[in-house]
Amino acid sequence: MRRWFWWFLLAPQGFLLAGVWRDAGLPPIDMAVLACLFLALVADRRALPWLLLGVALGRAMVDEASLPVQILVLGVPVALLLPLRGLAFRQPWLLQAFGAVLAAIAVPKLTGLCGQWFQQPSSSAHLDGLTIVWAVLLLPPLLWLVQRLPPCRAFVEVAP
Amino acid sequence: MRERPRAFPVGLYGMLLFALCWLTLPAVFAPLERSLLGATCLLPRWFARLAGSPAMAAAPDLQRQRLALSEQLESRAARHDRADAGERLAAGFEPVSCAVLVASRRGGGGRVSELLLDHSHAELAACSPWVTKGETLLGWLLRPGFGAAAKDSPADPARVQLLNAAAAPPNLAGLQLADGGSLRFVVGPAAAVDPAPLRVELWDDPYRAARLQQDGLEVRTLPRSALDAVPAGLLLGQTRVWGYQATADQQPLTIGVYVLPPFDAAALSHVVVWRPAAAATDRVAPAPFRSRRRVPGLVHDLPGAVHGRHLLLADASVPTGAAIVQDGLFVGTARGLWFGGGLVTSFALSRQRWSLILLPDAPDLAPIEMAGEVVDGEDQRAYLRWRSADARVSPRLGAGYLFTGSNGLHCPAGLYIGRATPHADDPELLIVRSPLRPGPHAVEVIVGEAGS
Repeated sequence: MRRWFWWFLLAPQGFLLAGVWRDAGLPPIDMAVLACLFLALVADRRALPWLLLGVALGRAMVDEASLPVQILVLGVPVALLLPLRGLAFRQPWLLQAFGAVLAAIAVPKLTGLCGQWFQQPSSSAHLDGLTIVWAVLLLPPLLWLVQRLPPCRAFVEVAP
Repeated sequence: MRERPRAFPVGLYGMLLFALCWLTLPAVFAPLERSLLGATCLLPRWFARLAGSPAMAAAPDLQRQRLALSEQLESRAARHDRADAGERLAAGFEPVSCAVLVASRRGGGGRVSELLLDHSHAELAACSPWVTKGETLLGWLLRPGFGAAAKDSPADPARVQLLNAAAAPPNLAGLQLADGGSLRFVVGPAAAVDPAPLRVELWDDPYRAARLQQDGLEVRTLPRSALDAVPAGLLLGQTRVWGYQATADQQPLTIGVYVLPPFDAAALSHVVVWRPAAAATDRVAPAPFRSRRRVPGLVHDLPGAVHGRHLLLADASVPTGAAIVQDGLFVGTARGLWFGGGLVTSFALSRQRWSLILLPDAPDLAPIEMAGEVVDGEDQRAYLRWRSADARVSPRLGAGYLFTGSNGLHCPAGLYIGRATPHADDPELLIVRSPLRPGPHAVEVIVGEAGS
């Protein structure tokens, strides 16, 4: 129960921290993509729906679209990347980088599509090449780091 | 077999399905979103209190300037909205200007076909049925208990059936040809997939009509003998001919003639209905849709969120879509949360479709009602892609002052946004400069009484 408290308290604030990081002039960290990678490649499969809700709440704070749109925007890439988990379990960086590229493209594209379908456009539908490059370079090592830090550490799937 | 549930993440797919249900029935799940996001924002709220003291008010000369601009918009809009139609009406009618609350329902040409006004059916009961804007006939005022207003009571917002509504009655109209002749015909609503909202149905001279090739001819109403006759000479729109163009070996072929109204109904903020001067009005109470509360609040820049995303702390519950105003300056709209909070997206950061009014610098020009979307923006500057269905509006706009149009019950028309200048390279872009600065600010939240 305690791990869930810390997850819902801290995980959404990661989106604000990423903004503080970017405002400080540091290379941008796309928290939505990092969240997708963590959920798809590392997190406990049984906890996925509620973990997804936590990160969707965080993105709903910084983005114009509503909470269910955020669930779809983050959840669909997770569902697409999940089959890669068997390959990525032993931390092959190449696969994680591939997942980062896929998610970095899928998240803004899905934001744009959902904005059109559900009349909830948002400014994060813009696909930026530089963000993809930074996602490939930064997110695999960050994924290695966050799964060793709370609150993510408590949700890492243990190998059978 | 025991591995199968692990391979298929039932919970994840269930959550995605739940999100789709949520989007299908947003009103049912709105309290859930308000409470979840409200609880998530408690931590940023606590941080926001440490973020400095709020700026309380703009300089007095700025406030005076905004007030003067708002008054100018109101007087110029009223003058242009009423004057032209008034000349074509019989004596003894006086105009009643009504704000549009909601534009809805898809009609001919795929455009909006119904308006809800800020006056009640009871208030407009004595009015004539036609609804105008300038010299343009827009549609018909519906009576409660009949037609599309069958379920309305007299206290409900008055409902206008636009000319392109499927159930709207056809009109007798005519146009002047370049050779001096004229054509008379019946104009009715087009289908939703048609290229324009209105379609010519019956011609008095089908042979000449088949040779009609010219777009942009003015179509105006003709007098009828019925009791509720539409005043003659009101503008319905301009012709748009649909067919095959002439080739080297073939004559042009006209298949259909459509009429393009000069206004995009989705961008309308005010319309005019006409009341006989002798009609008694003093016994009807004013509708509550026109009164709006102003709730004091504070906006903070969300820590780390892109500039233009704010956290709102208000003294009362904030409805979603409420306009946030700082000393008469429009900041943005709020998504209401529990615990007296809200998330505000500034105009520059928003990507929603706005109904807007541009007050041109030239004093003799009418205010221009337009639809627009911000395509790019930062703190004090927004790039707005605009469009107006009004053929009289130049494709290259001049500079002016931008105001909100009607964007729902909680975001009324006439809130000042900023100075708008045309983009040097792209005539469809306006650069809107708004004197907003980052940091905490004291604001007012506009809450429509009927929706609070």
